[in-house]
Amino acid sequence: MKLGLAVAFLGATILAGTASAADKRWDGADDLPVNPLACSAGEANAAPAAKPYDGGKPTNAADKAGKPITLVDVPKLIGIGYFNATTKGMQEAAKALGNVTVKTDGPTEAKIDEQIKFIDNYITSGVDGILFAANDPVAIAPVLKKALSKGIHVVGYDANSAPDAREWFVNQAEFNGIAKAMMDSMAKEAGEDKSFAIVTSTFTTPNQARWIAEMWAYAQKCHPKLKWLETVEAQEDNNLSFNQATTLINKHGDKLAGLFGMTSVATPASAEAVTKAKLCGKVAVVGLATPNAMKPYVNADCVKSVVLWNPVDLGYAATYVMRAVVDGSLKPGATSVDAGKLGKLNVVNGSEILLGSPFIFTKQNIKDFDF
Amino acid sequence: MSAMSEIPLPQAAKRVVPWWLLRHETMLAAILLVALIGLGGLNSRFLTLDNLLNQGRLTTEVGLIALPMTFIIITGGIDLSVGSIVGLCAILLGYSWKIFGFPLPLAIGFSLLVGAAAGFLNGIVITKVKVPPLIMTIATLALYRGLAEGISQARSVRGYPEWFYFIGQENLFGVPAQLWLLLIAIVVSAIVLDRTTFGRTLYAIGNNETAARFSGLPVDRVKLIIYTLSGLMAGLSACVLVSRVTTTRSDMGIGYELDVIAAVVLGGTSIFGGVGTIWGTVVGLAMIQLLKNGLALTGVKGDATIIVIGAVLILSTLVASSLQRKREGV
Repeated sequence: MKLGLAVAFLGATILAGTASAADKRWDGADDLPVNPLACSAGEANAAPAAKPYDGGKPTNAADKAGKPITLVDVPKLIGIGYFNATTKGMQEAAKALGNVTVKTDGPTEAKIDEQIKFIDNYITSGVDGILFAANDPVAIAPVLKKALSKGIHVVGYDANSAPDAREWFVNQAEFNGIAKAMMDSMAKEAGEDKSFAIVTSTFTTPNQARWIAEMWAYAQKCHPKLKWLETVEAQEDNNLSFNQATTLINKHGDKLAGLFGMTSVATPASAEAVTKAKLCGKVAVVGLATPNAMKPYVNADCVKSVVLWNPVDLGYAATYVMRAVVDGSLKPGATSVDAGKLGKLNVVNGSEILLGSPFIFTKQNIKDFDF
Repeated sequence: MSAMSEIPLPQAAKRVVPWWLLRHETMLAAILLVALIGLGGLNSRFLTLDNLLNQGRLTTEVGLIALPMTFIIITGGIDLSVGSIVGLCAILLGYSWKIFGFPLPLAIGFSLLVGAAAGFLNGIVITKVKVPPLIMTIATLALYRGLAEGISQARSVRGYPEWFYFIGQENLFGVPAQLWLLLIAIVVSAIVLDRTTFGRTLYAIGNNETAARFSGLPVDRVKLIIYTLSGLMAGLSACVLVSRVTTTRSDMGIGYELDVIAAVVLGGTSIFGGVGTIWGTVVGLAMIQLLKNGLALTGVKGDATIIVIGAVLILSTLVASSLQRKREGV
């Protein structure tokens, strides 16, 4: 009797869950408003209306203008190529500036709870500034606000938090720009009326969810005949990504004409799965990844385009932005900031600093990059 | 009192068990004290009231689950599904509020109820179908996490009303609000385990389940109660966690089962059952949290901290078991 009740209860819960999930949107997309770019390449969208500064402000921060500062960098996780590259950029910037010390420390798995604990501990141990890449924009906000309230400067890069929980965010490339590059590449390589699937990290990871939402919006506008099969989660895990991609290939067979890799781990793993299945040229792989991981597949003509920005530059820019904030040369209302060898970077969207347009690595140019 | 004298077994257990147990906890507390002083000497910000209270805040979610887990491990069982129950309850708290339109207090009640039901399901299959707890809760570890992900469809729920953040982020009389909750739960659990027939029954089951059954103890009912309690506390932990991080995600609580079991076992509760105390668990919890925190503040990096925690676990288990062997040899 009791067992029956429990099973009935669980069944009802599952039903309720599936019913409420009936939705035409792609899996893994978030619910925030989208802003797809124009379809043709040359035609630029109207510049977004200038937004007033919407970042936060530290309380009674010590005046360290021009003085040595100690920073901590807490990325989503440590030990993967992508964040090794941002760390490298930070060290280069620290060396170039001469009066900045940066230490990178963070969880070994991309877990919100762990990342929050790391930041909390660094607030207690005392630093002048915190650089972060958020695992969750909302979950990280309370601890970042705590840092601001203790006079610690906070600058984000790679993955944003709620705007008022940090001062500035260094945006590697705008979401709609990445989405356009990804969808255009897929339509060109797989065909305008073919089907594709997506391998992402998790549905709750903010960047990936944002990209997928923008890809959905852009595809509806510019490639309406492309058919979406499904999105699968593969954490930031090599093995799991390979397995998920292989499952997609086996499951959808000839229908599958393209795979999107949404992370720097999923893309090479998807390319490996396509190679192992001997489907190079039949299943297009388009995705975000670092060039070194993709060189074998690009050189073997299995992958034609890899979309990314330069993560070394991203870490470099974040460090320069932090220095400018501490020095007081980057204030709310500023329109640009000096970023050393990168030149002047523009302020967009209130309190974000744009690194540049996304970059597409191809067989012609990938050999020129080493990260 | 009269109920207790009817049961012969616990009195025998009383004489043997707490004797060396006390030693283990005293020893652990001594190690903790040394570690505290050492880490405090290395970093001046470690032994501040502010930091220690903050660590209490951070450890509450694991602590709340560690209390019923102590009960379960004392009976010789285990519950590996607690982390997934946290995820499921968090999602249902958010979903019943935002999608089903429940008022938030009702949504909290609903998610607690779901937590209890999830634990109850564990308990009923373990007692009625005789599936070993390890197998059953590995199965529901996957099942409950799958439900959490399926129901949420990866949508985070955000934007809770301001009052809801009280339990996760505010202070009450200068102490983090959730720490009061943990303190009350500790005191109640300790009294239940140490001073009631129910508590004695747990030791009896862990020492010799067959004997406990023949002694007329309601073994199945007691097991059902502790697994249900475990689910309920995981639900409570989920509410505290959502309030602290202000958002609901389906991946909440992943890996909690290991943190919880580590604290309980470090606190001297035997995985073979029959032995353990709430105070041991509390010391174990404090030890892990403060070691992690102290090492981080001293500048030890994240991955090295995990190694140290692992080493401490192995060492303390070694010491505990060699102590036990000595007692039994006498």
